[in-house]
Amino acid sequence: MAAIENFENIYLDLSKEGGKCRFAESGLGWKPTSGGEPFTLQGNDISTAQWSRAARGYEIKILLRNSSIVQLDGFQLEDFERLAKLFKNWYSATLENKEHSLRGWNWGKAEFGKAELTFNVQNRPAFEIPYSEISNTNLAGRNEIAVEFAVGDGKTTNGHNGASSKGKKASAGKDQMVEMRFYIPGTTTRKEAEGGDA
Amino acid sequence: DQNGVEIKKFKRFEAYKRDNQFPPKVRDMGIVIDQKNATVVLPVMGRPVPFHINTIKNASKSDEGEWSFLRINFLSPGQGVGRKDDQPFEDATAHFVRSLTFRSTDGDRYTEIANQISNLKRESVKKEQEKKDMED
Repeated sequence: MAAIENFENIYLDLSKEGGKCRFAESGLGWKPTSGGEPFTLQGNDISTAQWSRAARGYEIKILLRNSSIVQLDGFQLEDFERLAKLFKNWYSATLENKEHSLRGWNWGKAEFGKAELTFNVQNRPAFEIPYSEISNTNLAGRNEIAVEFAVGDGKTTNGHNGASSKGKKASAGKDQMVEMRFYIPGTTTRKEAEGGDA
Repeated sequence: DQNGVEIKKFKRFEAYKRDNQFPPKVRDMGIVIDQKNATVVLPVMGRPVPFHINTIKNASKSDEGEWSFLRINFLSPGQGVGRKDDQPFEDATAHFVRSLTFRSTDGDRYTEIANQISNLKRESVKKEQEKKDMED
């Protein structure tokens, strides 16, 4: 195994601009193609890692020990084995292949994890919402919860958002997600709403 | 059920079977209408998330200053609309995505998308009705 593994055209936290992603035994780094400040991550800050289909190819989602999330997308399907090996050897982390639900249903179970809300359809995630991207939640009606997203002024900056500046993922694409409403039945409504605020 | 009323069986529908069936356009992290698979693909935190047209109630566009908004409403319990056999409403514990709102400065695009969703919905309802008529 090489001492350094390089991947081109990778995006950090849904950045507009691609960059180079470099993995080494001590950790990983990402640098935008046009230059600028690199983002680095220590290998021993990595708690778990997931591999799944994203809009731009495949994505590695890293959960850090401090419960924040780092997303890297733009990988090719065939990169998986190489990446799984280096995560195991260098970071003692399993790169878990997480298949998402493709059924197209709008019902399931909203579950609250350490760093994100996961909407599961038949025990498979359909999508995830990192808590860091939520700007507000409220009870919009009986059994209805409105989740608002941090989209800023919409004048998204180029380059990477970086792990330090959260709250930009909802506005990363050309269609910015501003609100999502859930129907939560029964008496759990209040509890779930508070969970979403975490 | 116990009242002797026939429960219409929920008909299973599926947007995709494999993740290589997504239209290539999902790369742009924008809303994609997939006519062929009767599915609307919505970008959620960098992930393409399919919603079958059967789950969608309607889509509407509105404007506010320089922004245009597209709101997609899904069928969910307690709305007084939608046929019971469209969704597994018998699962009383299920959570539902009730609506998703996006914004963009390209209002014409949202008018177009809202129209496409309405047309797709109309076609799908028509097809379902034809199927039902055949069965009767």
